[in-house]
Amino acid sequence: MTNSSQDKAPLLDVNCLSVDYGLKGVSLRAIDRVSFALQAGEAVGLVGESGSGKTTTAMAIAGLLSPNARVSSGEVRYRGSRLPIDDDAAMRPHRWCETSVVFQGAMNALNPVHRIIKQIAEPCMLKLGMSRGEATARARELLGLVGIPTDRGSAYPHELSGGMRQRVMIAMALACRPSIVIGDEPTTALDVITQAQILKLLGELRSRLSLALILITHDLSVVAECCDRVMIMYAGRIVEDGTVAEIFAQPKHPYTRLLIESIPNPASGKKMIRPIPGDPPNLVNRPSGCAFHPRCPSAMGVCGTEVPSLDQFGRGRVACHLHRSSRGDKVAVHA
Amino acid sequence: MSGGGAGRHIGRILIRAIVTILMVAVLNFILFRVIPGDPAALLLGGARTSVTAEQMEAQRQNWGLDRPLFPDQMVDYLTATLQGDFGYSFKFRGRHVAELILERLPATVVLVGLAQFVAILCGVMLGLYAGWRRGGAIDHIVTGASLALYSTPSFWLGMLLVVTFSTALGWLPGYGAYSPGATIGSLDSLLDHLRHLALPVTAVALGLIGQYVVVARAAMSDVVTEDYMVTARAKGLTNGQMLVRHAFRNAMLPVVTLITLNLGYVVAGAITVEAVFAWPGIGGLTVEALNARDYPVLQGIFLLLGASIVVANLIADLAYGLLDPRVRQ
Amino acid sequence: MSESIVQYYPRSRTRAIKAFLGQFLGHGGARLGLLCLVFFVAVAAVPTFLVGPLQTAINATGDFLMPPSGEHLLGTDEVGRDVLNLVVHGARISLVIALLATVISLVVGTTIGMTAGYYGGRVDVWLMRLTDFFFVMPSFVLALVITPVVLEVMGRGGEILGFRPSLFVIIVVIGMTSWAFVARIVRSQTLSLKERTFIDRARVVGSSNSSIMVRHILPNLVPQIAANGALVVAGAIYVETSLSFLGLGDPLQPSWGTLLSLAQRAGAASAGAWWYLAAPGVCVLSVSLSFVLIGNALDDTFNPRRRVIP
Repeated sequence: MTNSSQDKAPLLDVNCLSVDYGLKGVSLRAIDRVSFALQAGEAVGLVGESGSGKTTTAMAIAGLLSPNARVSSGEVRYRGSRLPIDDDAAMRPHRWCETSVVFQGAMNALNPVHRIIKQIAEPCMLKLGMSRGEATARARELLGLVGIPTDRGSAYPHELSGGMRQRVMIAMALACRPSIVIGDEPTTALDVITQAQILKLLGELRSRLSLALILITHDLSVVAECCDRVMIMYAGRIVEDGTVAEIFAQPKHPYTRLLIESIPNPASGKKMIRPIPGDPPNLVNRPSGCAFHPRCPSAMGVCGTEVPSLDQFGRGRVACHLHRSSRGDKVAVHA
Repeated sequence: MSGGGAGRHIGRILIRAIVTILMVAVLNFILFRVIPGDPAALLLGGARTSVTAEQMEAQRQNWGLDRPLFPDQMVDYLTATLQGDFGYSFKFRGRHVAELILERLPATVVLVGLAQFVAILCGVMLGLYAGWRRGGAIDHIVTGASLALYSTPSFWLGMLLVVTFSTALGWLPGYGAYSPGATIGSLDSLLDHLRHLALPVTAVALGLIGQYVVVARAAMSDVVTEDYMVTARAKGLTNGQMLVRHAFRNAMLPVVTLITLNLGYVVAGAITVEAVFAWPGIGGLTVEALNARDYPVLQGIFLLLGASIVVANLIADLAYGLLDPRVRQ
Repeated sequence: MSESIVQYYPRSRTRAIKAFLGQFLGHGGARLGLLCLVFFVAVAAVPTFLVGPLQTAINATGDFLMPPSGEHLLGTDEVGRDVLNLVVHGARISLVIALLATVISLVVGTTIGMTAGYYGGRVDVWLMRLTDFFFVMPSFVLALVITPVVLEVMGRGGEILGFRPSLFVIIVVIGMTSWAFVARIVRSQTLSLKERTFIDRARVVGSSNSSIMVRHILPNLVPQIAANGALVVAGAIYVETSLSFLGLGDPLQPSWGTLLSLAQRAGAASAGAWWYLAAPGVCVLSVSLSFVLIGNALDDTFNPRRRVIP
């Protein structure tokens, strides 16, 4: 009874997943022993800086690893069966039908030479075997769902605003009724108001269609708005995992704390944005021990030598030596 | 999307084309006036004949050479050029330049047209394939070979083809467009013509293939890294579907532009090849004009090359607008 | 996500140069091109030392159109001259023409592009209209009609700045007709450089326009100019070879193109004298390919777009 989710099998189960990139003969670990589970209908935020491995994690789940990536350990299970994530062809039936992606900067993610209605209808025809007419009707329906007037379907991507293009991306992602939608920085290029609209839309659609949502972002405030749970990643590892409420109220990991403090808060007024000191982690020369220790305000001797494991802590998980007083006796802490 | 925007776009393209043609004509006018010697004397047969001063003066008045160079003579020249009057050849006395050019044009069009056809078929396909499978064995071979072709003057390829297939092996003729004594119009003469075409067409096409492969490969390997290709992959499309539905059309944008532009450039590019094969086209005429210092013919050819280049540019600009919705605005 | 891994931020100039060389020489093509060029430049530097003085019909050393032999490694031409001798001397002439034409083209192109980009407004509009013309009209087509006329005006005798007139004319005409490509690239670079803060700073401390252009903008254009310069050389070699082939070269100082022209006129192809036409052609191909490879490698080094990690 360590986990409340034990009674029902998770929709997605990522188990000890490591992915390496080959770089001129050198192998580079992008994500390292990442484990987590995702329940149907759950919304999880995956937060971290550039190079934290959040995108690689998401691409692995979607079966979109690049050819120079190699799964060196672990597995991804979807509805109980193992996904062949390192086999491009074998992943094809899974893509879009089960897991779809809303990419960032929808300008380039949409093909510039095709009308948007055609791009939305395409997966319906190719994946669901609909006729052209059926697919177009479905695409119209989807446009309505994301709040785009159906007569705009004949527009080309460059004729739409950034927010509209992002809506098109969302409509496209829903085309084959997937169970999981991954949002890869879906609001990054947008202004604040549009950003809020898109997040609201995502939230509404999620509850209406009971989608599981994985939201990748470097912006914690985005997660706060539409996720149940958040996982913080640093240098390829999950360093903290917990509910949004808990993490904001009581961040355990020093990195999470600094991330939260770096959110500009107009309410408190006087507080300046505090950037996190130091450089983002270098994956080629990964720091020994906890990768965050060179930048950590609370680093201790052990942090430079020993890699902290991601242990259950309270109702969430954290990988930090500060919270390892209970080593070997997790159940006690939990109780 | 508004009609006005598109209209203005086309208008701007047209104006640029007209200005370029005018500049070609003006350059022609200037060059012709710079040549030493009195044009009137040239017109009367140069220094070889003796003419009286009165004859010269009459000639000057007759041709308007007594009027100021600018603007009168230039305007006259431009007007005449616009009406298709390019003057008379020095070498072929008494013959219109336009007539000489029109007589030679078909041979060049056939040569260049066939070469383009072959080059598009082979070059574009090879280039797109190499870019799609970037880094593979075929890519390395195709790219290396096309860079070498790209750096080789095609007339030299022509010379090598003659030495190999005509002189050494004796398979194909390496000279002229027809065998001597052939009756033009019969089936035999057509086959004979095709055999004569084989080597020059290959020479011109090889040069073009080098270019097409380089550009098509670059375009395709750019497209492959685009975000919309990741989207297509995420949608679960097969490689074939990704290639046909998403990569092909985007990669063809720069290729179509290059092909259309080449419609203009290839005539000039074929001049040296025609010289190798004594092909009775514009290239052959150019060599004859150069050797005989037949400036009016040379000017006519320059104008023809300029016009074909400008027209090709015009078509390329318009075609790009049709293919790429982003430009249409 | 890969900036910190792939990109390299050099701290000092030496390190920057080392990093550049490392990356540049990492291209197999660049190494091949450089090696080939070094060979041809060495040959062009001391042709007389290598093969003796340039042979003419009078001091020709062999029989007519003899295939390669121990005595004449590359055979002889139609008047008995040693082809190796001609090709080695041709290297000097071809390279000098191509390089000087490129220098002219780069100077003109950079000046026009930088002026247009820096001043903007009407200057830009008119200079770019001029550039458009030269961009659309290929150097070969312009040179084809300009060269014979200029040669006629100047005459083929005497010397200009130490060059035979026909060489001089070809150099200048190629240089003056092939700069448009450079001008366009330099202009767009200048436009973006102009907006940078260090230019504002120079303006605030009272630097004149010309000093800003020469001291601050020009050094930042060097990568673009270098990469495109290599491609301009390749283009110049192509134009020179074609013009000379059509008989516009100087028969007394034969470039590779002129040699090909002589071979053509002598009927070398139909006589089966492959050595006569193969030798100059292979030289043109090698040098031109070398410059293309170097240009590509430079371009790739200065504009790294390929990412290892998505």
